[in-house]
Amino acid sequence: MTTLPTDTVREASTATALTAGTEPTTPPAKKKPRLVGTTSWYVVALFICAVMVVPLLWMITIGLKSRTAVFDIPPKLLPHEFTWSNFVKGPQVIHFPRLLLNSTIITALSVIGGVMTAMMAGYALARLRFPGRKVWFYLFVGSMLLPGVVGLIPLFQLYKSIGWYDTWLPLIVPAFLGGNPLFIFLARQYFLAIPYSIDEAAKIDGAGHLRIFVSVMLPLTRPAWITMAILAFQASWNDFLNPLVYLYSSGKWPLSVGMASFVSPFAGKTPDWSYYMATNLLYMLPPLIVFFAAQRYFIQGLGSLGSTTQK
Amino acid sequence: MSRNAGSDVKAAYLFIAPAVIGFLVFVGYPLIRSFYLALTKYNGLTDPVFVGLGNFRRLFSTDPAFWPALRATGYLVLLYVPLSLVIGLALAMFCNQRFAGVRVVRTLAYLPVVLPAVATITLWKFILDPQVGLLNTILDRLGLPTSLWLQSPKMAMPSVVMVMLWGVGGTMIIFLAALQAVPTELYEAARVDGAGPWATFFRITLPMISPIMLLQVILQTTAALQTFNQPKILTNGGPGFSTNVLMLSIYNNGFPSLGRIPQLGYASAQVWVLFIIIIAVIALTAKFSSLWTYSDNTPD
Repeated sequence: MTTLPTDTVREASTATALTAGTEPTTPPAKKKPRLVGTTSWYVVALFICAVMVVPLLWMITIGLKSRTAVFDIPPKLLPHEFTWSNFVKGPQVIHFPRLLLNSTIITALSVIGGVMTAMMAGYALARLRFPGRKVWFYLFVGSMLLPGVVGLIPLFQLYKSIGWYDTWLPLIVPAFLGGNPLFIFLARQYFLAIPYSIDEAAKIDGAGHLRIFVSVMLPLTRPAWITMAILAFQASWNDFLNPLVYLYSSGKWPLSVGMASFVSPFAGKTPDWSYYMATNLLYMLPPLIVFFAAQRYFIQGLGSLGSTTQK
Repeated sequence: MSRNAGSDVKAAYLFIAPAVIGFLVFVGYPLIRSFYLALTKYNGLTDPVFVGLGNFRRLFSTDPAFWPALRATGYLVLLYVPLSLVIGLALAMFCNQRFAGVRVVRTLAYLPVVLPAVATITLWKFILDPQVGLLNTILDRLGLPTSLWLQSPKMAMPSVVMVMLWGVGGTMIIFLAALQAVPTELYEAARVDGAGPWATFFRITLPMISPIMLLQVILQTTAALQTFNQPKILTNGGPGFSTNVLMLSIYNNGFPSLGRIPQLGYASAQVWVLFIIIIAVIALTAKFSSLWTYSDNTPD
């Protein structure tokens, strides 16, 4: 807990430093743009990029190969003929449209719930005085360190006893109840940085707390909740363990569990890798699009976790 | 500070209510309940039967799978955490330089982190396929020795860790934020004093980012102790027990495949062993942090 100081001013300033930091703003290594240094930098850069990108490119080539060409020995790096039909037949194997719809609904609702409750709690913790304010803040922050697995078995039994097993509720309802304490922490930090004169002015104009929250605070904290929404989207779209445990019927699965079922060995049947890889690309597309569309928020969100703890 | 403190309190409770209810239901209740279940024999159908420390006795003395699970978890943590920190920091320093295209490198290095775990892990499962996988294909063409990777008891865990390290961009991004917060003047002063790159790194960079290093050690270790997706999808614990980490063992005891009886009490005991290890790691890291983290003396 000592590593999480609540120094607001510093937090706010480092957050701005970060936003600016998406451009190359760097002190140390600009001393000698010598040719050797530059060349070796680009060689290393190329290597890093290759390690990150080649597996994905290879995935696409597998997705384009015919089902038998995948098992050619020695393996060929590029497909001989492009089997575009994999992109249709592959998804059919796991009823892709159905799972896509499931994932979309689950993810959308958990994003809305997670962001909404975290913003509300953050607002109360940062800008309203009430008994227990500090205690709750520390309880929320402390619960970040609680391993998720502790809840798995008791909650599984709880959901079973109230008829939530094999429904989407265990994947959605916790989000509406402040399921991610990191978001509460981020929201609070962001709210603390907003000048109090703004609320005072709004109060003089006769605005209540709900009004201040919705029409004054939400617009001012846009970067914070966009960051949270992205992190929540990613967490929900990528979640595997929870749906694996809480959902039994394959018709209710999200894509993560469906994709995993694709290649789990059923009675010695070889998985259709070309079908899988074609479908995998489709499964990756939404996070990819979100990432490239909102890159700076990704960097900001995780970076702020680092910089808020910076002494 | 506020004139109408009463309405503040009422509003505050309304705003915070969902999170408080959530805390009680999803943190408080499971914490107590799982501690109780750890002391019981429970199959999820009939009522739990109190057995005291019986589960723990069974874990430490008779269960042939528990020590291998603990060993596998320890091996994974010791292999993954240092590599992740070193590579993550190296990558962050590399990406913290002024070159055209550095943003492309940064973006691509972070890319694997945003992709769904199931998608990337399964992709790697095929990359590591000994016969038709990409890695052996490349090694073979370069005339380098190939390996059975996930299918070899010796290489399975290093392979799992290699797959995890593909997501090292997550570590990098936090270090990058820390590096950018180091005041430029310090580097200028060091240059004026004639400090070389190594001295600069050990005397300035490392001390200045040591609080973040501490955070990273804690976050990475606790996350690594709870690794589930990679061993579940890549190896399902095999070959033998070589990658059967604690989380996988908990999952298999608590949620076994059809036809086997769930041992929820026993799995809860394992959860608590894991939980206690995590608390111990955090406490020890924090306790000894003053030995190696730098803090400036400015009063708060």
